[in-house]
Amino acid sequence: MAVRRKLIKERVPTPERPPKERVKDFKEVNLGYTFELAVKEAERCLQCPYEYAPCIKGCPVHINIPGFISKLVEYRDNPDKAVREALRIIWNDNTLPAVTGRVCPQEDQCEGACVVGKVGDAVDIGKLERFVADYARKNGIEEELLCEFEEECTGELGKVAIVGAGPAGLTCAGELAKMGYKVTIFEALHKPGGVLAYGIPEFRLPKEILDHELAKLNRLGVEIKTDHVVGRTVTIEELLQEYDAVFIGTGAGTPKLLNIPGILLGRIYSANEFLTRVNLMKAYEFPEYDTPIAIGKKTIVIGAGNTAMDAARSALRLGSEVTIAYRRGREDMTARIEEIKHAEEEGVQFEFFLQPVEFIGDENGRVKAVKFERMRPLEERDKRGKRKIVGTGEYVTLEADTVIIAIGLEPNRIITETPGLKTNPNGTLVVDENLMTSIPGVFAGGDAIRGEATVILAMGDGKKAAKAICDYIEKKRAKANA
Amino acid sequence: MPYKILDKKELAMNEVWYKIHAPHVARKVRPGQFVVVRAFPNGERIPLTPVTWDREEGWITLITFVRGKTTMRMANELKPGDELLNVAGPLGNPAPMKKFGKILAIGLITGMVEVFPIARAWQEIGNEVTTLHVTPNPMVILREEFENAVSRHIVEGFDLQPGWGMNEIAQELVKRAVAKVKELLESEHWDLVFIVGPAGGQKAVFNVVKEYGIPMEADLHPIMVDATGMCGVCRVTVGGEVKFACIDGPGFDAYKVDWDELIHRTGFYAPLERLALEHYLKTLQAQGGEQ
Ligand SMILES: Cc1cc2nc3c(=O)[nH]c(=O)nc-3n(C[C@H](O)[C@H](O)[C@H](O)COP(=O)(O)OP(=O)(O)OC[C@H]3O[C@@H](n4cnc5c(N)ncnc54)[C@H](O)[C@@H]3O)c2cc1C
Ligand SMILES: Cc1cc2nc3c(=O)[nH]c(=O)nc-3n(C[C@H](O)[C@H](O)[C@H](O)COP(=O)(O)OP(=O)(O)OC[C@H]3O[C@@H](n4cnc5c(N)ncnc54)[C@H](O)[C@@H]3O)c2cc1C
Ligand code: SF4
Ligand code: FES
Repeated sequence: MAVRRKLIKERVPTPERPPKERVKDFKEVNLGYTFELAVKEAERCLQCPYEYAPCIKGCPVHINIPGFISKLVEYRDNPDKAVREALRIIWNDNTLPAVTGRVCPQEDQCEGACVVGKVGDAVDIGKLERFVADYARKNGIEEELLCEFEEECTGELGKVAIVGAGPAGLTCAGELAKMGYKVTIFEALHKPGGVLAYGIPEFRLPKEILDHELAKLNRLGVEIKTDHVVGRTVTIEELLQEYDAVFIGTGAGTPKLLNIPGILLGRIYSANEFLTRVNLMKAYEFPEYDTPIAIGKKTIVIGAGNTAMDAARSALRLGSEVTIAYRRGREDMTARIEEIKHAEEEGVQFEFFLQPVEFIGDENGRVKAVKFERMRPLEERDKRGKRKIVGTGEYVTLEADTVIIAIGLEPNRIITETPGLKTNPNGTLVVDENLMTSIPGVFAGGDAIRGEATVILAMGDGKKAAKAICDYIEKKRAKANA
Repeated sequence: MPYKILDKKELAMNEVWYKIHAPHVARKVRPGQFVVVRAFPNGERIPLTPVTWDREEGWITLITFVRGKTTMRMANELKPGDELLNVAGPLGNPAPMKKFGKILAIGLITGMVEVFPIARAWQEIGNEVTTLHVTPNPMVILREEFENAVSRHIVEGFDLQPGWGMNEIAQELVKRAVAKVKELLESEHWDLVFIVGPAGGQKAVFNVVKEYGIPMEADLHPIMVDATGMCGVCRVTVGGEVKFACIDGPGFDAYKVDWDELIHRTGFYAPLERLALEHYLKTLQAQGGEQ
């Protein structure tokens, strides 16, 4: 076992671009560790034993965290080797570390559990994971490891269709390919990635990183058919005739809109429309890119999750003043802490305990103000542990010429209309403990079964479903041969 | 994924026809459905309607009205043999295939393109279909095709006057459409009226039809981005409820549509659309200058 180290309370910080500079463009905000800084941070890890390490338990896919961190310290004189060994350990459980290192809410997961966090700052596991992935990508280290993987990808064991190329589908595809299945992904949009492609902006997740991760899948023999809307272009029934099994990872992409007067006024966007225009269609480069976006001088974003932060910070970068209006309090916000901090530094204003009740339009049918009711928190908590709120009967009106609604997303309807596919009242798909839906041979995971959740949970589902699919196909074969 | 342009030609003024290899769409498409096309790496996604298709040979045809940057770029820059980057679909719901009886199917300008597959199918299942095309004379298209496909095809064309802009054309279009529809409703019995065209024209015709109490369906054209139900830009109020035209439509009961709101929402991007077009025209000029 590793030698116990002295406890260092303070985190080694990662360099970030100053707020004034970064609000002018869509380039990445956090610059990540150098090797030297990464080693210094890695040394803060106490190397809890594998069976007990709380960080591993806190990670939804159970990466051997002390294991990969120890390699950085052990091979500190040989960065390439250190990273290769660390990446090999991470890849065992997570094939998208450059993504998860950037977007996971680590404070609720691995870092929230880290023992160092009880007396000081938790080890910066996310940034270390990201460092390993970035260094490996830039220095050709992934290449060697990929070659080792590639040999296993024979595609001979059977054929599986995956619906949706978000984190759930991509992970399921990768795992099945490694097990020896021939995998085809059907994606509705023109670009794979799901929320990673159309939702999360470049300043958090550069698109070149996503493209690189997708290229990896290609190497494993996974085929991606874009422009294929399952339910319309091809149905689940038809897929079942051609493939041994199907995995549905269609996410929760349908925006919830507020059912209040004025919702159809001009310049009221769903966050999804706004972010799709900005991220997927690059409307911020209009007219070099053809897709337009109309944004005014004062924007109000309604909601306080990751989607709201991303929309607010994108609007800021398009030159608007931005206020986030949330119906609960500061401590109830669901966005990642790092993103809330970044938004504040960049000059996003916050208003709490405001519930919109009406959008007010001008003579041209465009929004010009939002009327809110002031809310008050109660001691009582709801099922998710959030404080309940009640109206006070007091109203305020805030001016705004652009409104972005980010109050949540529901599962996509095209797929849930499949005959025989059972859904819950909230539109999510019903699955059993093996993630199999009500149609035998059809599995599902990610936001499609959870509602809006996280990238890593979607990936965890993809992985679990891959194993279940493998068992299912083997059993089916055995039965057929008996 | 390669979607080869097998053929292309100009059918009439500003009306361009494309034959495209897209077997995944051809296999499945039904009248009333549409596709989303992306033609250029920095391009936008625009909704268009397959007019005809061959399931076996795997092609569809599209007809675009050259009205803004994207459709103009397509008209100028794409040649037979080139490829469209993306053709997603089929999208939206098929039109209801029922025996209604006597149907008047109206297309305003390029809206006629979308009327074609639906009117033909209605006729085939035993309806008696009259189609009416209201459009400037230089933009008359598909005349023969309609004449062969339905009971009766009427073209209500008008000449363009020197100095007319879009506004004058739109006014004339509405005037002609309203007068012709009144005449037809006055003189004959109808079981269903169907219309495709700009929202302003659709509303004007609806106001006439309403007076006669005849059931009416309309294919709506709000702005679309993904067209898979993920953004909500295509939302319209139908019967007091918010619907997404790309997954709940594009066909709706005209009596339930909030027309003013639709007209208003379709105009949102007009200034930016003009900017995009101007930008494109400038780059064309610059290229012309270098040669
Ligand atoms: C703006 C935003 C920011 C976020 N930030 C974070 C974050 O920082 N950290 C975090 O952990 N989570 C974050 N989330 C949540 C996270 O992105 C999701 O939980 C995760 O992407 C879910 O993955 P998925 O694979 O289930 O679905 P998705 O990523 O939604 O992918 C689904 C895919 O399926 C496709 N599809 C849908 N219907 C069909 C069909 N009928 N046929 C074919 N294809 C179809 C879609 O086009 C899409 O590509 C954020 C979400 C949003 C919207
Ligand atoms: C279901 C459906 C089917 C359609 N079928 C056809 C067809 O077969 N032939 C045809 O010529 N046109 C059709 N249209 C209209 C066509 O999409 C627009 O003419 C086209 O987007 C114009 O693009 P542009 O860049 O040349 O013009 P611009 O006016 O510059 O358009 C720029 C943007 O506005 C949006 N937009 C503008 N007008 C419309 C509109 N009327 N409908 C939807 N989006 C619009 C586009 O999405 C685009 O992003 C259809 C529209 C819908 C909704
Ligand atoms: S809990 Fe913290 S200190 Fe312990 S192994 Fe994990 S990262 Fe290291
Ligand atoms: S076009 Fe985005 S939801 Fe209809």
